[in-house]
Amino acid sequence: MKHALIASAALLALTPVAASAQEKTLTISVYAFAQDDFKSIVYDPFEAKCGCKLVVETGNSVERLAKMEANKANPVIDMAVVSMADALSATRKGLIDKIDTAKLTNFGKLYDLAKDPNGDGMSVGYTFYATSIAYRSDKMKIESWADLLKPEYVGHVAFPNVTTNQGPPALYMLGLALGSDNPDLKAPIAAVGEKKDDIVTFYEKSSQLVQLMQQEEIWAAPIGRFSWAGFTKLDVPVSWATPKEGQTGGMNVMVMTKGSKNQDLALQFMDFWLSTEIQTKLAEKLVDSPANKEVKVSDEAANNLTYGEDTVKNLKLIPSAAALDNRAGWLKDWNDTVGQ
Amino acid sequence: MFQNRTEALALALPAALFAALVFLLPVVILLSEGFHIDGSWTLSAYTGFFSQSLNRTVFLRTFKLGLEVTAVSAVIGYAAAFAIVNLPPKGKGRMIGLVTLPLMISPVARTYAWIVILGRTGIVNQAIQGLGLSDSPLRLLFTETAVFIGLLQLFLPLMILSLISALENMPKDAIPAARVLGANWFQVFWKVILPLTREGLVVGGTLVFTGSLTAYITPAVLGGSKVLMLETLLYQQVSVANDFVAASVIAFMLIVMSFAANILLKRLATARNKR
Repeated sequence: MKHALIASAALLALTPVAASAQEKTLTISVYAFAQDDFKSIVYDPFEAKCGCKLVVETGNSVERLAKMEANKANPVIDMAVVSMADALSATRKGLIDKIDTAKLTNFGKLYDLAKDPNGDGMSVGYTFYATSIAYRSDKMKIESWADLLKPEYVGHVAFPNVTTNQGPPALYMLGLALGSDNPDLKAPIAAVGEKKDDIVTFYEKSSQLVQLMQQEEIWAAPIGRFSWAGFTKLDVPVSWATPKEGQTGGMNVMVMTKGSKNQDLALQFMDFWLSTEIQTKLAEKLVDSPANKEVKVSDEAANNLTYGEDTVKNLKLIPSAAALDNRAGWLKDWNDTVGQ
Repeated sequence: MFQNRTEALALALPAALFAALVFLLPVVILLSEGFHIDGSWTLSAYTGFFSQSLNRTVFLRTFKLGLEVTAVSAVIGYAAAFAIVNLPPKGKGRMIGLVTLPLMISPVARTYAWIVILGRTGIVNQAIQGLGLSDSPLRLLFTETAVFIGLLQLFLPLMILSLISALENMPKDAIPAARVLGANWFQVFWKVILPLTREGLVVGGTLVFTGSLTAYITPAVLGGSKVLMLETLLYQQVSVANDFVAASVIAFMLIVMSFAANILLKRLATARNKR
C-alpha cells in the first residue's frame, strides 16, 4: 500500500517545469497561416538580429483577441496582427496602446491607407487584399456584383458566408450594385436570402473553392486575392472580375498590447516586418501583399497579389467602426434569412 | 488480484486525478457557463437559445439526422454482420478487414472524396443521367442528403463491428432451433436474434448516434452553412461570434442527447428482454 502511494505521489510530482528563459523574449500573436515562410523570412532573421527569442502564438483573430482580453491585467503577448475591425475592437476594450510611429523607420514608406487605418493611431497596416469575383470566363460575363444573382448564373455561384472575412465585403459590394450603401447590409442579405436555394453553397473555407470550380460545381465565387493563385492553375479559363462598382477587400494591421513590458522590442519587430526587404520577400513568396510602396515584385508575383498604388487606392473597404457596430446584426439577419 | 481495495485504488489514483483535473473539471466549468450568467444561476441562456428559430431548426435537424443515420445503419448493419458471421473463418477475417479499412482513413479524406462522388460531374450524377433518370445533373452536394450519406459511411463500420461481435456471442443453435419450432425469418429476427444481440445494438447505436451528433467535418464540408448542424453552429458561435455562453448551451445539449440515447437504447433492449 505504502509503495503504491509513493509511486503515485512521485508520478504527480513529475509535472514538467518550464525552464526560465535567460534572454529577452518577444511574444507575438499571428494568424496560423504560412508559418513556415514567416519563420524563414521574418522570425529567424529577426531573432538573429535582435539577439532575442520570439515566441509565436497562432490562431484566428477571434480566439486570439479573446485570449488578450482574458490576460488583460497581465499581458502575455507583446504585439499582435489582426484585422482592421478587430484592432478597433481591441482599442474599444482598452487592450492596445498607441504605436509610436516615430520609432518606425519604415513608416514613411507605407501606402497612406496603411499608415493609420482606423484614424486613432493604434494600428499600422502591414498587408491588404482585394476581394472580387473569380469566374469561368467561358460560361459567363461578370460586369457588376449584381450579375452573381442573375437567374442564369445564380445556380452556379458559391457565396462567402457572412462569418468569413470575405462575406461582409462581398455583401457590401452587392449592396452597392443594388443601390444601397448602408453598412447594415440588410438589402444585400435579403437579396441573397431570396436566392439561397439556388446558390450552390455559402462557403466558409476558400480552399474548397478550387476543387468546386475544377469539377464544374461552381462557375463563380467572390474571393480574396490571396486565394487567387490556385484558380490560375486550373485547366478551365478563370478570370478575375473588375466589376463596375469596384473591388473591395480588407487590411490586416499590427497592434501593440497595452502594458507590454517589451514595447521597444515590439516596435523593432514591427519596423523589421515593414521594411522593404522583408515585405518584398513575403510578396515574392505570395504570402502577403505589400503595404510598403517601395516594394517591387516580379510580374508573376504581382499577378497573384494586391499590388500597386492604383489597386490599393481604389479598394472599397468597410470602415472598421461600421463593421464592428453592425457585426452582430449581420449575423442575426443572415441566420434569419439565409441560414435556415 | 490485489490484497485489498485500497491498494488498487491507490494505483488508480494518478489516472483518476489526471482525468478529473484535465477533463472533468474543465467540462464542468464550461457547462456551468451556460447556467451562470452575470453572477446568478439562470436558465435564460437556454430559453434564449430556443427562442431563435434558426437554433430550433438546427437542433431538430441534428436530432433527426442522428436518428436516421442510426436506424439505417442498424438495418444495413444487421444484414452485413449476419452475412459476415456466417462466412468461413478466412473470408470472415477478410470481410472484417474490409469493414475496418475505412476507419483507418482520415474522415477528412473520406469526406472530400464524397465531394467528387456527389458532384455535378461525379459518378452518381453520371449514372443518373446515363440511365435517363434526369436530363441535367441533380444537386446532391450541400444538401441534407449529402450529410446523411457522409455520416452513414463514416459510422456504419462501428455498427457492423458491434453487431458482428454480438452475433458471434449468440448460441450457434438458437436460430436452427427457432426455425425447427416453426418460426419464420421475421420471427427469428424479432424474437431470437434481436434480444440476443441487443448489447451489440446498444453499443453500436450509441456510437453511431453520438458520432453523428458530434461529427464536425462531414456536416461542415458536405452540408456547409446551408445545412447547419449543432456542431457547425457551435463552431460558428465560438470562432465567429465569440459567444461562449451559446457554445456552452450547445455543448450541454450534445452531451445530454448522447447520454439520453444510450439510456434510451438500453431501456428498449431490457424492456424487450423482460417480455
